[in-house]
Formats: sequence, C-alpha cells, structure tokens
Amino acid sequence: MNEFVEQFLLESRDLVAQATDDLLALEEKPDDRDRLDGAFRAFHTLKGAAGIVDFAAMARTLHAAEDILATIRSSEGVIEPGVLNECLTCLDLTARWLDAMETNGETPATADAEADDMIARLTASLDTDEQGPIAPPASDWLDRLRVEPNAQSGGPCTALRYIPDQDAFFRGHDPMALIAALPNLLRVDLVLTDPATSLDTMNTFACALDIVALTGAAADDVRAALAGADGAVDIRELAAPRAIQPDSVRSKAISLLEAQLLVLRDASADGLTGRLASVGRTAINALICLDRQEAAAAVERAAATAQAVPSAAPLLEAIERALADGRPEQPNDTARSPSHAPRALRVDMNRIDALVKLTGELIVLKNAVGHAAKLSQESTDPAVLAGTLREQHALFDRLAKEMQAAVLRIRVLPLRSVFRRFPKLVREIAGSVGKTIRLVTEGEDTEADAAIVDALFEPLLHVLRNAIDHGIENPTRRAAAGKPSFGTVILRARRDADNVVIDIEDDGGGIDIARVRAVAAERTIASPETLTGMTDGEAANLIFAAGFSTAAAVTDLSGRGVGMDSVKAAVERLGGRVTLETRPGIGTAVALILPFSLMMTPVMTVEVAGQAFGLPLDNVLETTIVDRSRVIPIGSGQAVVLRDRTVPLIDLADMLDVRHSPLDQTHAKVVVLSVGTQIAGLEVDRLGERMDVLLKPMDGLLAGVNGIAGTTLLGDGRVLIVLDTEEMLR
Amino acid sequence: MTVVLHDASSIRLIGACPADDAEALLQLLVGHPAAEIDWRGCESAHAAVIQVLLVANRPVRGPPAGPFLNRFIGPAMGSSG
Repeated sequence: MNEFVEQFLLESRDLVAQATDDLLALEEKPDDRDRLDGAFRAFHTLKGAAGIVDFAAMARTLHAAEDILATIRSSEGVIEPGVLNECLTCLDLTARWLDAMETNGETPATADAEADDMIARLTASLDTDEQGPIAPPASDWLDRLRVEPNAQSGGPCTALRYIPDQDAFFRGHDPMALIAALPNLLRVDLVLTDPATSLDTMNTFACALDIVALTGAAADDVRAALAGADGAVDIRELAAPRAIQPDSVRSKAISLLEAQLLVLRDASADGLTGRLASVGRTAINALICLDRQEAAAAVERAAATAQAVPSAAPLLEAIERALADGRPEQPNDTARSPSHAPRALRVDMNRIDALVKLTGELIVLKNAVGHAAKLSQESTDPAVLAGTLREQHALFDRLAKEMQAAVLRIRVLPLRSVFRRFPKLVREIAGSVGKTIRLVTEGEDTEADAAIVDALFEPLLHVLRNAIDHGIENPTRRAAAGKPSFGTVILRARRDADNVVIDIEDDGGGIDIARVRAVAAERTIASPETLTGMTDGEAANLIFAAGFSTAAAVTDLSGRGVGMDSVKAAVERLGGRVTLETRPGIGTAVALILPFSLMMTPVMTVEVAGQAFGLPLDNVLETTIVDRSRVIPIGSGQAVVLRDRTVPLIDLADMLDVRHSPLDQTHAKVVVLSVGTQIAGLEVDRLGERMDVLLKPMDGLLAGVNGIAGTTLLGDGRVLIVLDTEEMLR
Repeated sequence: MTVVLHDASSIRLIGACPADDAEALLQLLVGHPAAEIDWRGCESAHAAVIQVLLVANRPVRGPPAGPFLNRFIGPAMGSSG
C-alpha cells in the first residue's frame, strides 16, 4: 500500500467518525448549526481525500451527500430524520469501502454500483421533504451551448455547469485546469456570475466564473473528473452514454495524420515553409480532436523547430511518434500488491513530549553511571561507591518505570472510538425487531490499550444484540410488567484497578434459567447431573458455552449460529473474562473484564527441578502448603481437599516431564489456579516472587509449542518461560 | 513576470500565467485603458487570469500558444485569434 493510501485511510477514518458524531448529535438537536457545519466540512474533506487517491465512486457518493447537507445548511427548515439517516448510511458505506481498501490495497470493485445506489437513495431522501431541489431547476444554461449538429452523433455527450466557490482561487484551486482536464472536451462557455463586474470593481482573488462545458465523455467520467471541484456542479447527460469515442471520428483523425506524413515526405522542396505550417496546424487539430493534448503540444513545438531550420524532419518525427502512441490509453493499473501495513496510531503530542523529556533524563543518568564507573577504577572507598550505585539504581528504576508508563500511554485510546458506533446500530437493531431502545453510554473517556479497543467492537455488538433481541421484552409484555414501553440498555466503561470493565446492562426480563437448563440438556452441553448440581448463576453462564442459542425463533440478529460463546472467546483472547448476572423480571448485566494493557503481564515465578517458570497471576487464586498425608490418590491422579473442596493436584514436574524426587517429603507447595470455572492445584518445588513482565510470544521454530504463553528475561539473564495455564488445565 | 507591458500599447501574456498574474494584469489594464491584450505567447492561464480577461472585454491579439486556450477559451470569450 503506498504512503498516500495509508494516509488517506487514516484520515478518512477520522473524518467518517467525526461526521458520524456530528450527524448523531444533529439528530438529537436538529437546530445545532455548528454540528451541521462540522458534518458538512467532514464530508467535504472526505470527498477531497477520495479525489486524491482516485477513488471516484467514493468521491461522487460523498459529493451527493455534501450537496444535501449544503441544501440543509442554506435552508432554515427542520432537518428530516430520513435525510440524516441516509447520510449516516452513506458514511457506513464509506467505512466499508475503507475496510475493503485496507485489506486489498485497492478500491473495491463493487464500489461503483454501490455508489449509484447510495446516490439514488440520497437524492430520493431529499425529494420527500420540502427542501426543494438541489440545483436550480432551470435547464436554461444548456442554451448557452450551441451544440454543433453533426458533432459526436451517436456518441456520449455530457453537458456540465460549474460555478466554483468564491474562494476557490484563494484555496489554490484552478477551476479552468479542471475544465481543461475534462475528457473529450467539445465546447466551453464562460460568463461572470455578476455581469455588472468591471475592472474597477472586480476582486481578482474572488472567483466569479460561471462555466458551462460540453464534453464527448460519459457523465460518470465527467463526474469523476470534477470530483475534487469546489462549488456547484450540475452534470447533464445529453445522449446515450457510450464509453468509447466513436470509431469514425477516431479513424478519420488518424487517417488525416497519416495523410500529413505523406505531404511531408514529398521530396519536392518548393513551398516547404507553407507546407510545414499547414501540416502542423492540421496535425494539431487532429490530435486535439483525439483528446491528446500533450501530443498536440509536442507537434506544435516540432512545427516551430521545423519552421526555424527549415526542415520537415522534426515535424515528421513528432507526428510519427504521436501516431505510434495513438492507441487508446490503458487505464492506470492501480492493482497493488495486497499488503497489510501495521495499523497506524494517532498519538497525542504531549505523550511524545513526555517521552522526549524522559529520554533527556536517561542521558543525564547515563553520564552519572559513567562517572561511577570511573570512581570504581580509582580505588574509591567501596562503601561510598555502593552508595552512589544504589542511588543511581533507584533513579534508574524510577526512570524505567516512568518510561514504561509513558510508552504504554502511547498505546492507549479512549473507548469512545468504539462506543460511538453503537447508538446508530442499536437503533437499527431495535427497529428491526420492533422495539424501542434507549442506549445510555457512560465512561466513554475510559482508556484502554489500542489493541483492546480495536478488538472490542465485535464482542460488544454481539452482547448488545443479545440484550436487545433476547433481553428486552416486546412493548406489550413490558407494559404488562409495568415497565416503560422503551427498553434501556446501559453501556458503561470503567477502570477497576488494573482492569477495564465494560458493563452492558438491560432492564429486560432476565434470562429464563429453566429454559437455559432445558436447552443445555437437550444439546448435551452439560450432563444432567452437572446441570442439577448447578446454581442458577452457574446455569445462566451456560449461555457462554459453545453451540448454545436460546432464541426460539432465529432472527437475523442473533441466533445466527454464533452465540455468546464467540463473545467469551474474543474477550479471553484479549486476556479478559466475562461475567453475567441476571435477575428475572429486572434485567441482565454482562461485564467484560479486560486488562488495561496487553503488554504488561503480572506473573508469579515458581521453581521446579531447578528451573524457574512463570504463571500468569490472573489465574492464581492462592498459594498454600499441604501436608502430603492429605493428598488422596484418585485413579491415576491426585487430589487434595482445600477449603472443603476437592481440588485435583497436578505435579508440575510430572507435567513437564522433568521427573525428580520431591525436595520436601512431608509437605507439598501448591499453587491453586483457577481457569474459567475449573480449579486445580499445581505442585511446585519453590514459590518465587511476583513481577510484572513484558511477555514475548514464542516465534520462529518455537511458535507452535503448546502450553507456553511466552517468555521474558529475568534479572540474572535467565529466560523465564511463562506457562499457559489454560492450556495446562484443558 | 509573465504579464508585461510592451511599448505602452500592448499587454503581453507569456508562458503559463499563474493566479498571481491576475492582479498584475488588472493593474496594467486599469493603468492603460487603451492597451490591447496580446496572448500569442500564452501557454496556459489560471482561471483568475481568464476571469480578468473576461471582465476586461478588450480586443485580444491571438491566437494563444496553448491549445486549450486557443480551442476553447478564445471562442468562449467571444474573440478569436
């Protein structure tokens, strides 16, 4: 993917988000002009960006939307929700295109058809209200083009009127260059928007041009060429579109060029200058007719040279070259190798500044350590040296911590970036199942690691869908239960110690536990004995089991075969967990508990057979020492009763196949692990310390090794292997 | 400078005339009400320059060097080369 496209994707995503924000706010407060202006600007900039990367479909779609916003801006009337909805849909479509572009590195093939649809919908949305048409209804400007009777008969013919914004010059635009670049230009007419302008009163910095042009190109091509235009553009198709230039005109022009070559090759020397002039003129005209301006310019230069010499050779050569290049130009091959560039991150400048400051302090410290090293060579008193070193170590420790925190802050994003996509989606989902939902979002400013924020959208959407589809009762049942007719779903983010917690609470009917048990039995998700032994809370959690779906009727929302188990899986992939609480008649609360940062993992070290291993602290419930007499052999395994609960006991040495005789024959040191609903004891030789590590995942040859979460380096240089406890207990 | 006054009787547009030339051209036109415009050396002109020519509505000596100006803008201004 080239740099432009990367930048384009980055900026466009921001703009889509900004425009969505503004439109949603506008929906709440239709008279908020600032929001309307904001949305308009975002659409406008997006359109311009699309023009830069030659994404014509996107440019014209956004242009249509921008037109609508411009009309709304200029009118004082109330904004119809239908119009805003279409604009939002337009942004969704744009976001989908951007996604496709990011994956494939090129503009999606279906974009043109989708753009046509979208433009039709946008235009229709405005027609239904009383805002009036987008452009003046008059076809009067067409009269300014006197179409030559036999020109381009049968070919496409598109007329356009372009009134650039007043400040187009100021912004560095050249409307005339846009017109000059139009394909197959046939005629141009220029008037001033204010005919009374005179040299004494005019302002050369304000554009007052009203340009009408006729081209032999299809309307779509013209639209694409004018996609980046500032101001009002009206495009009319005058004849049936045909993408290629009529062959007759083409072949005539080419045979004319060939005829000029014959004239030039004529050996007779008399009247050479006259011949050169006429041949030059004819060739230029023929080339202009073929819409080959550069070739025409080249021939023109050659003609001048030929006149000056005088000799036919330069002109001859130029025309031959023009003929040789005369094949229709291939459209630029935009196919780029689909590459997945690393996701870019926008970082607050202050956070970078903090890093720069810390780097400065590190350098000061480096000099101090150098000084200490010199002191040690100069046989300084060891006590003094030790003091200095200790002091420097303390300083280094503080700096390293600050540095780490600062680096982690760079990867941190507010959850707003994912939350803001939900209000609209929730409304759509609720609408499709005939319910009215009020979505309350709280704590959007809560921050989390960018990787987590990015990965949260899917699981959250799924939980919300479930809440709306299964949680909230239909209006009649709600009325019967004495609840307000609209359901309320709360989406809340909060920091809880080292975790980020996202609560999704609904005020629906709660989970039908009896039904969950019945379905679980029916689908053999759990054995009947296990089911009867389960508390209601545990049974409710069965909805997270793979292959579970209680929807009586499969709606197009949830129950598509992917149940809440996908949510659980997604959250666990991020190193988090899901909890669920439900109360019949009152509602259900789902909490996604995620680590604040993916990078730091708190681990506990243990030792077995002389080697240190790490265990993720998240899974460690407690550590304890058990008398060996209390270890009960069960089958081929062992178990121990801890706090009135029988816990399987696994010997880590056995598991890792590093057999040795236990160090302590009378007592066993046990780490009690909890993974999901399972609890197990892990026997180790020695309990180590707790530390925060930057976990390095296994790569290269070791990438496929199971049971290892990653590695890190210990202070003494040894490699600490951190075990994947979930894999171990499976 | 791509807009120059020649012999106090003709204002010449030379080469590619950027937007900045519009103001210079306007000043020359205002200062020399009788001067004619000569754009035979003009390859291309920014819309701002063309706009001044349009407002001036003065005889233009052509044809201009640039094909786009020659083929489209000349006729559009109602004066030919």
